[in-house]
Amino acid sequence: MPTSHDSHQQTQFSKQADLTEKLVELHVSKYNKNRIFLILLSALSLMGLIGLIVKISTGFNNPSDWGYYVTFVAYLLTTVQAAPMVAIAPFIAKGHWNRPISKIAQLFAPLGLINLILFIPVLFVLPSLSDGRRTLWFFESLKMNSHMPHIMTSISFICLVLLGIALLWISTVPDFAILRENSKNPYHKKVFSILSNRWIGTSKQWFTQKHRIGILGAFYFMTLVIVNFQISSDFAMSLIPGWIDALYPITHTANSFQAGVATVILAMFALRTWGGCKEFIGFDQFWALGKLMFALSLMWIWFFFSSFIVFWYGAKPTEKAIIELSMTGPYFIAFLGSAFLLFILPLLTMPFNKIRRSILGPTVIAFFILIGSFLDKLRIYVPAYQLTEHPNKHNIYLSDIPKAILPDVPDVMIIVGGISAIILAFTVLTKLIPVISIWQQKELSLYKIHKKFHRTEVLVLGKPE
Amino acid sequence: MSETKWGMVIDLDKCTGCQSCVVACQAENNIPINTEDIFNQRRAIEWIRIERYWEGEFPNVKARYIPVLCQHCDEAPCEPVCPVLATYHNDQGLNVQVYNRCIGTRFCANNCPYTVRFFNFWEPEWPDSLKNQLNPDVTVRSRGIMEKCTFCIQRIRRFSRNPESGEKVTERDLNPACTNACATDALVFGNLNDPKSKVSKVRSKGENRSYKMLEDLGTEPNVIYLKKVEKGTKQENNAH
Amino acid sequence: MQEHHHRTDKQINKELLSSIFATPKWWPIATLFCLIVYLIGMTAFGYMLNKGIGVTGLNRPVFWGFYMVNFVFWIGISHAGIMISAILRLTQAEWRRPITRSAEVLTVFALIAALQAAPLVHVGRPWRADLWVFPYDFSRGIWINIKSPFIWDPSAVMTYLTASSLFVFVCLIPDLAVIRDRTKGIVSKIYGFLALGWRGTPVQWKLQIVAGILLSALVLPVFVSVHSIVSWDFAAQIGPEAWHSTIFAPYFIIGAIHSGVSAVATVMVVMVWLFKWDKYITPDHLDAIGRLLIIVATAWFFFFFLEWVYALYTLESPELAMRELQVFEMPWRALFIVFVITAYLFPVPMWLFKKVRRSFLWMFITTISVNIGMWLERFLIIVPGLMRKQPLMFNWGSYTPSMVEILMVCMTFAWVFMGMLLFARVFPLIPLFDIKEGMLVRDEIKIGRAKVPATIRE
Repeated sequence: MPTSHDSHQQTQFSKQADLTEKLVELHVSKYNKNRIFLILLSALSLMGLIGLIVKISTGFNNPSDWGYYVTFVAYLLTTVQAAPMVAIAPFIAKGHWNRPISKIAQLFAPLGLINLILFIPVLFVLPSLSDGRRTLWFFESLKMNSHMPHIMTSISFICLVLLGIALLWISTVPDFAILRENSKNPYHKKVFSILSNRWIGTSKQWFTQKHRIGILGAFYFMTLVIVNFQISSDFAMSLIPGWIDALYPITHTANSFQAGVATVILAMFALRTWGGCKEFIGFDQFWALGKLMFALSLMWIWFFFSSFIVFWYGAKPTEKAIIELSMTGPYFIAFLGSAFLLFILPLLTMPFNKIRRSILGPTVIAFFILIGSFLDKLRIYVPAYQLTEHPNKHNIYLSDIPKAILPDVPDVMIIVGGISAIILAFTVLTKLIPVISIWQQKELSLYKIHKKFHRTEVLVLGKPE
Repeated sequence: MSETKWGMVIDLDKCTGCQSCVVACQAENNIPINTEDIFNQRRAIEWIRIERYWEGEFPNVKARYIPVLCQHCDEAPCEPVCPVLATYHNDQGLNVQVYNRCIGTRFCANNCPYTVRFFNFWEPEWPDSLKNQLNPDVTVRSRGIMEKCTFCIQRIRRFSRNPESGEKVTERDLNPACTNACATDALVFGNLNDPKSKVSKVRSKGENRSYKMLEDLGTEPNVIYLKKVEKGTKQENNAH
Repeated sequence: MQEHHHRTDKQINKELLSSIFATPKWWPIATLFCLIVYLIGMTAFGYMLNKGIGVTGLNRPVFWGFYMVNFVFWIGISHAGIMISAILRLTQAEWRRPITRSAEVLTVFALIAALQAAPLVHVGRPWRADLWVFPYDFSRGIWINIKSPFIWDPSAVMTYLTASSLFVFVCLIPDLAVIRDRTKGIVSKIYGFLALGWRGTPVQWKLQIVAGILLSALVLPVFVSVHSIVSWDFAAQIGPEAWHSTIFAPYFIIGAIHSGVSAVATVMVVMVWLFKWDKYITPDHLDAIGRLLIIVATAWFFFFFLEWVYALYTLESPELAMRELQVFEMPWRALFIVFVITAYLFPVPMWLFKKVRRSFLWMFITTISVNIGMWLERFLIIVPGLMRKQPLMFNWGSYTPSMVEILMVCMTFAWVFMGMLLFARVFPLIPLFDIKEGMLVRDEIKIGRAKVPATIRE
């Protein structure tokens, strides 16, 4: 005799088939849309490429000209390459709300390849360790290669990009299998066959896949922390005489999580509004990520203040110089902007339910956080590269604060072009990879049922572990 | 520039390490008796001490002496950390300790990079016979209170109070006890803001040898040291 | 939670209130022992009050020793309550249910222990610090110095103490009503007074839940700031060169979480052993807390590594001198090795094994080990930092703790144990309503042939 459970299962499995159809349709239908948008992005990216070529042709002898360029590379690291953390962290915490958006977050990982290419000129800009500056490689005592920062950061950067691509691929394999089965175009079918790597969905395959995602995620996180550590200490702190801040690598990483979440929120908004994903990316996702972004904004002030209080209270000449260099002196406006956009604005807006529990609220704040994040990087990296040719670069104490410099035209072209290239690459990737992970949505629908509970109807969420 | 700023110049070339300054300070300021036990407990109180460093290997061993006292820093690290404001900077450039406010947290002692602040771990005691030698102008501190060199503020105060009385006051009345006791005139005290004072003259004469202790910390001490002249160097001929 | 023991409301009431309605056999002896240790410690304090700080091992330059180490240690333990309670409550983790109250109570008692460890006792003239504060003597127009970290400290600790006490009380109300309804006479009247007229109506439940969530959210900034402020007691100073590092605030906080969550795990195991609550605190709970501890401990170790690496960054004498002391000179070297092993190298590899995480005995051993290591960590920061303040070697010193200090440290431990024991006798250490709610929202989903545990969300 069919029990209520049986009929529940029937509806479950037919629900699954409907869901698959819907999501495949969504993915396929995005082809041939938004031509003008893509053309505009391509044009801007081309402009960026020209700017890059112009910049490289001016040579690497003037590191202070490259300050804004390095800022942009660090900025991309902390936004684009930190975005996959949104997929990784809740996966470890086993939250269900991030299922629709985990693919969006992971899609940013291959875009790290663009950042890796942009990173190559930076390797020529960074002076070798033989200029006598302080470094965590303890160059003089340990007699290391004078290009250790260059070599080691390149290795970890490459690892980060590869790990990100691997993570994206492994977690998309079931989706490729679905698309392989459901695509009508034989060429597409062949591509998806190759990408889906003989996936048929056996228990063993699911088990292996789950563990691989877990391990790749953990390694991605660790590598991200290491790359942030290396970029912040070798490519910034080491260049500023007298700056010893054990916290800065962590601050850099924590700020990157804030900016990474902001990046994902913007991508979510774009896909919901113009990408047709309204049904899947809903309030839950914006609310959860908005809360997370708010918490990370509050952490910004904690990390900033922890460094600041030690320098300000200690009032040693070196520390006073650092405060002047990066906060109160030539880059005061950048500092004010970053403090306002990264902390004060979220603090004044996000506690209010009306703003936080909405779609537009977190999106607007996320946009401002991304601007603030750039200003925050600017006030550190630009003076760092100005000081490479400063007279007291070999001294232990910074006694002369250089004046502020503005970006030149190739810098602006590169920044605008770079951001356009990122958006363009993301859009192109979504043509290949379904932006809403089909298998995760199907899994969610299995765990989510509505039941009658006493006199009301409730949602029951399965917790498999 | 007319404001008084008390400071000291210590000429290390003249210092013999005789410790007269230490004894004089002890007598002037009612410093508790440092018994052997207390010394072994590392709690000896010496507002001015002669630090001795050994340099070199036998047979070329050298002893270096440096009298260390409260540097009366312009940016004193001991001042902002006291929770009860028992130490502050007065308008004559002195770092002042207010005994009756002090609750003895010892925060100031930790933050002083020169370790010139002392804590009364025990209740100071003098045998009856010595009680008459206590200086009536100086507070006798009880246990649980911080103390340090005051540049003999009681003498500075007395000197500033007396001009009307017609009594002739000399520089020696103004000087702290340590400065007066020094046999070689290694310690010179006075108003650093007055270009005509002895201390300013000694300072500018020894400009090429002058330094301050732990300058990189930005404490801006008001005790200026003049480096010892090495035998056989060019400086030997230019000094004094 | 895969393992689930279903309990009816009646069973929950009976089992969790067992220690209140009947004295467990071991309870009087345990409490008496703690009381005796506490009184011995108090006597030592009285002796110090009479003779002076000279009875301790403190000297010049090591003006802070065991008392400050103990203070920082207990502030660290106090972070457990918030971590477990507020954060797990806000992320709606089901496994928090049996342990929230004991964690919060541990926080309250740990904070009071911290106050007894240093601020109230270790100053030169404690009667001025303890008695002449309210009202403060401002007759000469001079107030406290708000620029001093020693003013930020008590402000933060008192705020935290107030918030945690409120938290404990608000979450205790429904349980107080249960006890009120099961007792008679004056006892019932007292519980009734504390229960504030709780009847369990929907309005009251809603208020209680909202209060819990609000307190959780508001206490999180306090949680972060308290230990940051305690760390700035050290980091803001320039005297001891080894302390002047920007990483101190997050380093201390992550250390506090490490030490505090380990302490909560210890308390969990002890509760099961003493009160036989093995149906409520299962190996699943220990497993969850063990996994959390691996992540926290590894993050802590990374911060420890960063602190070291940046200390060596300048390769200049003051910082190097303190590290050389820790690594090359005995007995500091022995202490340093013991610290690294007990705080990380022994427990964390153990926790990687599921068998260890699910064993009550091994979780007890590893978490005690962590707290021994973390106590040593604070000691190795504070005392060697003062022993090698600056490159002026003439002022380098040493430190040996005295009997008075050791007794007063034991006193604070006895305080916390005694407090928890007394609390367990009067209030339920496992929140009844939380467990009952947990039973209610448990459900199961059938997926194919598998049954998956689930929770009901509105």
